[in-house]
Amino acid sequence: MIQVKVKCFSQVQYALGVNELSLELEPGTTSAELEELVRNTAQGKLDGVILRIAVNQKYVPVEIELKDGDEIAFIPPVQGG
Amino acid sequence: MIITPQELQQWLNEEKIFTVVDIRPDDLRSEFPLSGLHPIIVETDEIPVYENKTILVCQFGIVTENIIVEQSLDNTFSLLGGAQAWAALQSEKEDLSRWSRQTVLPEIGLEGQKKLLNATVGIVGMGGLGCPAAQSLLAAGIGRLRIIDGDKVELSNLHRQPLYGPEDVGRLKVQTAKEKLEKLNESAVVETMDVFFNADNGLDLIRDTDIVIDATDNIHTRLLIDRFSKEAGVPMVYGGLFRYEGQVAGLNVNGSAGYSELFPEPPTGGDTCADVGVLGMLPGIIGNIQSLEAVKLIVGIKPNLAGKLLVYDGMNHTTQTIEL
Repeated sequence: MIQVKVKCFSQVQYALGVNELSLELEPGTTSAELEELVRNTAQGKLDGVILRIAVNQKYVPVEIELKDGDEIAFIPPVQGG
Repeated sequence: MIITPQELQQWLNEEKIFTVVDIRPDDLRSEFPLSGLHPIIVETDEIPVYENKTILVCQFGIVTENIIVEQSLDNTFSLLGGAQAWAALQSEKEDLSRWSRQTVLPEIGLEGQKKLLNATVGIVGMGGLGCPAAQSLLAAGIGRLRIIDGDKVELSNLHRQPLYGPEDVGRLKVQTAKEKLEKLNESAVVETMDVFFNADNGLDLIRDTDIVIDATDNIHTRLLIDRFSKEAGVPMVYGGLFRYEGQVAGLNVNGSAGYSELFPEPPTGGDTCADVGVLGMLPGIIGNIQSLEAVKLIVGIKPNLAGKLLVYDGMNHTTQTIEL
């Protein structure tokens, strides 16, 4: 198993009710699979919300395999001003 | 007769009574304003006769000299070197001690301050982010601000838009903001554009600015600013809000990523302040971070947020910086 930390911002934080999560995942889990897990945990509250993923403080535009100790942040768009 | 800018300054200092007549067209007047002179605008060669000594001003002092000779005008002076020479004199006598608390910073210094005084910053949206950004940029000595917004002040704006008061409800935001901002720095130029930034006017609105601050409240406009920022080669400082959280990024800075690289399609799911609410301090913080980044980009200070997204969580007071 691998351990990852998930940072939750804006809508993700409100949908999950926490600003940070520590998760144990199967080795080989990808960023897209983690996103699916987060969306399922949010029980529909993130439906229709586009999310971008950063791994270790770097935006990752494509699906990648996560490693033990990775820090993942989900970035939704915000539009208030 | 001819008067030099220095002699005219002397007249001003001695509080002599005279009339200044500016014969230049609108575009030159707004680009090179006659600071401190309060001219009468006469956009024609037919100069009315005034009781006082009269000083005619054109852009370079050539047209007015000819008018005086051709029309044999008495008691009338042509400003030598015109509005350009007047602007040059004013910038020389600018008292830089006003900014001494920031010029003492080694990263800024007098050279940095001069860059700020010569810079033009566009602000799209004069709401929660635009108000504090405009205030702190003017206070820092930005020479020219172009504020862009077609909206009028509403009562529900006041808790987070400190340039407006209850008496301003129903007035154009840009007009009200200009009146307040000009009191902060009388030698800065505040240009008002009472239009909404759109696909037709966007490029013209930002192409001659040094930086554009994205202080809008919707992603559609943000993507347009991003597009024209790339097209015009003008860096964009993005700001956005969600409840107690804010984002700032320096986009399209010397080829760094833009908003469309992060969200290529107009994303769904972003909520406005009207939808989800916001406390007034949060746009104050985020708008000021945007101005800080604008100043750093103008002066050339590193590290900065070029190509990076800062997320500030005002509930837990944590930040996260993500490389784009």
